[in-house]
Amino acid sequence: MTRPASHWPRALAALAAGLAVAVALSWAWLRAASAGGYEERARAEAVGAVTRLAKAVEQAGAEGDAARAALSAWQADQPAGTVGRLVIVSGARLEGSTDPRDVGERAAPRRLLRDEKWAYDQAQRLRGIVLENAEQGFARAEVEVERLEGRYALGAPVRKDGAVVGAVEVDRPAKPPPAAPGVPAALAAVALPLLALLPLRRAAARRGPALAAALVLYAAGVGGFAAWALRLAGGGGEGVRALGLSAAVGLALVLFVALGGAARARAALVRHRVAYAYAIPAMLGMLVLVFFPFLYGVVLSFTGQTLYNTSAPLTEIWVGLQNYVEILRTFAFRMPDGSPSFYWTLAFNVIWTVTNVSIGVSVGLVLALILNTKGLAFRPIYRVLLILPWAMPNYITALIWRGMFHRQFGVVNYARMLFGLEPLSWFDETFTSYLTALATNGWLSFPFMMVVSLGALQSIPADLYEAARVDGASRWQQFKAITLPSLKPALVPAVILSVVWTFNMFNIIFLVTGGDPSGTTEILITQAYKYAFQQYRYGYAAAYSTVIFLILLAYGVFQNRVTRATEGI
Amino acid sequence: MRNRSLLALLAALLLPGLASAAEVVVWHAYRGAEKSAFEKVVAAYNARPGNPNKVTTLAVPYDAFADKISAAVPRGKGPDVFIFAQDRLGGWIEAGNTVEPIDFFLDDALKARFIPSTLEAMTYRGSVWGLPLNYKCIALVYNKKLVKAPPKSSAELEALAKKLTQRGAGRFGLAYSYADYYYHAALQNAFGGRVFDAGKPVLDASENVKAAELLQAWIKAGFMPAEPSTALITSLFNEGKAAMVFSGNWFLGEIAPGIDWAVTTLPALTEAGGKPMRPWTTVEGVYVAAPSKNKDAAFDFVKYATDLDAARIMALEGRQSPANAKVYADPKVAADPVLAAFKKQVDVAVPMPNLPEMTMVWSPATTAMGSITRGGDAKGALAKAQAKVAADVANLRKSK
Amino acid sequence: MASRREERIPHWILHAVLVVMVLVAVYPLLWVISIALSGGQSLALASLPADPGKLDLLRAVIPWPERFSAANFTAVFRDQPFGRWMLNSVIVSAATTVLGVFLASTAAYAFSRFRFPGRRAGMMSFLVSQMFPGTLMLIPLYIIIVTWLGLGSTRTGLVLMYATTAIPFCVWMLKGYFDTIPRELEEAAIIEGAGPARVFWTVVVPLAKPAIAITALFSFMTAWNEFILAATFMDKEEMYTAPVGLRFFVGGFSQQWGYFAAGSIIVSIPVVVLFLYLQKYLVSGLTAGSVKG
Repeated sequence: MTRPASHWPRALAALAAGLAVAVALSWAWLRAASAGGYEERARAEAVGAVTRLAKAVEQAGAEGDAARAALSAWQADQPAGTVGRLVIVSGARLEGSTDPRDVGERAAPRRLLRDEKWAYDQAQRLRGIVLENAEQGFARAEVEVERLEGRYALGAPVRKDGAVVGAVEVDRPAKPPPAAPGVPAALAAVALPLLALLPLRRAAARRGPALAAALVLYAAGVGGFAAWALRLAGGGGEGVRALGLSAAVGLALVLFVALGGAARARAALVRHRVAYAYAIPAMLGMLVLVFFPFLYGVVLSFTGQTLYNTSAPLTEIWVGLQNYVEILRTFAFRMPDGSPSFYWTLAFNVIWTVTNVSIGVSVGLVLALILNTKGLAFRPIYRVLLILPWAMPNYITALIWRGMFHRQFGVVNYARMLFGLEPLSWFDETFTSYLTALATNGWLSFPFMMVVSLGALQSIPADLYEAARVDGASRWQQFKAITLPSLKPALVPAVILSVVWTFNMFNIIFLVTGGDPSGTTEILITQAYKYAFQQYRYGYAAAYSTVIFLILLAYGVFQNRVTRATEGI
Repeated sequence: MRNRSLLALLAALLLPGLASAAEVVVWHAYRGAEKSAFEKVVAAYNARPGNPNKVTTLAVPYDAFADKISAAVPRGKGPDVFIFAQDRLGGWIEAGNTVEPIDFFLDDALKARFIPSTLEAMTYRGSVWGLPLNYKCIALVYNKKLVKAPPKSSAELEALAKKLTQRGAGRFGLAYSYADYYYHAALQNAFGGRVFDAGKPVLDASENVKAAELLQAWIKAGFMPAEPSTALITSLFNEGKAAMVFSGNWFLGEIAPGIDWAVTTLPALTEAGGKPMRPWTTVEGVYVAAPSKNKDAAFDFVKYATDLDAARIMALEGRQSPANAKVYADPKVAADPVLAAFKKQVDVAVPMPNLPEMTMVWSPATTAMGSITRGGDAKGALAKAQAKVAADVANLRKSK
Repeated sequence: MASRREERIPHWILHAVLVVMVLVAVYPLLWVISIALSGGQSLALASLPADPGKLDLLRAVIPWPERFSAANFTAVFRDQPFGRWMLNSVIVSAATTVLGVFLASTAAYAFSRFRFPGRRAGMMSFLVSQMFPGTLMLIPLYIIIVTWLGLGSTRTGLVLMYATTAIPFCVWMLKGYFDTIPRELEEAAIIEGAGPARVFWTVVVPLAKPAIAITALFSFMTAWNEFILAATFMDKEEMYTAPVGLRFFVGGFSQQWGYFAAGSIIVSIPVVVLFLYLQKYLVSGLTAGSVKG
């Protein structure tokens, strides 16, 4: 028997990994905080400067020599390298400039040159914003600030007789933020606890002491660095939260490595390398192309992003759960203004999905069973004719179906008239409107289910039926005891997925009913589309999509429990 | 220092000339005759002597065009120039980094080139963002066999339409998509109605109510068919069962060969004090993409594409109605009765709003039109639509 | 077999059901064909006289154009490089099918035959990937494919997106089917000294032909009829696929449904051909049953 392996190396690795991550995160926060504080002060100062200039120019009459004099006077107080310009929209004029290049032929006043188009555009932009703010009561910022490499570019509107006639535009050097503090301290916070663990090789050989030593030293290192950083940055609650989070991340890593999670994960990877090699290529594309956009959508759902603030950083328009609350709040089928509520749409969506999948699966399965009958004539011809609805682009067939239900020209109403019935306005009632979409989608989806069922039927060994017949089982008994259970493994995935697809079947609803009458036949996905592309409320639409996802996820988990579809045989 | 600044000045003056040897990519949504006419314009531009620029085109299906622009242009992967109607303009401007403002390049001579209302359609927040290429609006199309002299006023229209209507035989004096808000806007604008007032929705303005009530009176008079879908109108006109139709140039291609037809302006509304009916115009603009690296070359092409020679080709071969006002003096264009009629119509037309919020108007307005055409209370229906649009607009703008 | 004849459903009933279903399946398509052959451009199906009799109604219900013309079909190929676009579609769809079926079958085999940590989560993640609605995905997808991967305006980019869309269904379908194949066959091969790759290719794949045929058809269809991604990501007209070409005919102010209908018919022919080829794998008693005996 060999001596059990010492836990000391593992503790050392855990401590190193945890400390490195936690201290690196803390240090990154410290750097951002100190640079951010500096930046904020410098920015406020720059905004103050441009605002003062705009005031001074306005008081000097906005144009002419007086305005130029005000510009020069303002320039005298500014740090070296600052450039101020006064741009008048009418005639695209450079009314005044303190740019050292604007002398001689280029001296103001003059018309703006081609490479100064940006200055004119900025003045126009500011004028538009001020106008809109006044007319429609918006609160958009009336000073533009842009942080560029080594400088600020600012702009503020200049008014004359109450109307914006131009803008002052300032280019102001920005001092680089002071060097980030604390690299030596951070290195020490990582190195010292590690050094302290080095001599404890003996004492920390067993599991308990090794873990305890790693945790104590981790706490000492991270805690020490955090205390020092907080004092330096003068951080309040935000600093405590950020540092606490980094400490927690590091702690999780320490525990993961020290308790052997990392070793086990590695071992699993090695042991199941064939399985992973088979499975991972298919997942890679999905990870990149599906889960990134998905995460983006989820993050967006917590913001109030709309068309008007797409360029704002997400933290500024963060609204937490507000979108979700707004979606789920009205607990009734109708909104106060009479339009269908989220719950109406959800209920309709569920009914739509259940009926569609039932029709698709039963029709598809029955046809497959018939087509699987041995000795039945013309089977290949039937098979091909029956998949045609799937083969034709559904954009045109959906519109043909819509046309067939037209009040005046629809063949469905002609057929009703043939039998002496009154023509119907199919899209005026929720129920009949739903029927049109159901007919269209049922027609579109049964061929797929038929093909899947046909394939699944091939997996049933013929000798099973032989044996059953010998035992005297009736046809129905054979179907229940052999066909259905054998179909399950291939059919269940198709059913689960078609539930998911039908739930989000945008095209058919959009093209056939268009939500008529008055939005009652919308499904959640068409509703989300309207919020995004007709109302430009991207955050809200993303929340809607996330709710759709959560509903389907709940269904998927439940269905999987029931059918054990992810399990083996 | 002095020398260097002089050099910089020289470079600034010279560089645009040097940098303009550029490739300009143009995206459009044309096919058929419009596409060939536009490609002819591009070829003519490329073949101009001394022209260093090379323009290439890409046709994108209309249904994908706006999405493609919104995805590609802000990421710097799009074209240098693109062509689209003004209804998406406001949205693209607000989204940012999509459309380049071109106010700076404009002078009075250039502005004078265009029919004023088409340039107005290109104006957003006080700046011009593109040059108008062509316009579409509805006018009066009539069957010359049934209508000898087209009506000048709505009183004449009503009398004539009643005379020509035989409901039993399925004959109607007038047919148009009156339940469609786009078509109804012609009546509404005649009364001085509008959808937005200084950016605020005003669907229930008293002028709008009057227009809706006039429509109800027309429906009651019985000279228009029920449920007027575009397919119904086309087939009625082609069978000689509709004497007059309000529709745009897109309708003309669907008229059956046997019908002898003509286009003229919509009548003036007697009920609105003799003011002309003022349809909405949809204006296609040529825009420079904001991230384009060849903006000077791009704008050079934009100017060319909206100039006289190009307009002549687009009018005579592409069957478009150019926004260039000067082209209507061209003998060949002036001799074309259809182009001349639409030109007369656009002179009184109103550009359709280019505010992004316009997309929120259609669905509530359609609901209101449904209730109005079924004989419901016009004021109440419009008030309901107004409440819905106002709420949606407020929801969007609270983020502003 | 003949002894239990009394339990058989008579074939004429089966034929009757099939004929009715074929009529349902084909009727709307006959309208598409009739619009395409009419030579006109209207989507309106039929018009009636003012006071229609039964005969008028019956005539209006039957999809039969008033006049026949092949003009729409020739126009589809004359005014634009439609043949070229069809070829692009074939290339993209075939590549999607090969890539999708290959990746899906290996993954499905792992999920069916191996027990490893993350197996259930992996299966679920394929399902989950189908759940998030795609309406807001276009811009993030554009950023990944064009800005990050630099695959804008390439067939590779399209194939990647289509394969990713098709793979989840293929994995689930194949995994379910692999589960039904008895392990004894593989064990026998392993005893004979075959490695996992050989077992997979020589034992499992041949037995799973029906499922592979279905997933191939599905992958092909996923790529074949897709419009918005192809139109958004392709920046050259000669790179467009057939669905993009088709959409030129409609949208905007004027809509040429005659061309669109003719184009749709042309576009669905390759699908029918593919199905004709694949359907031999869906024929009763050819594969699994006999091998397993």
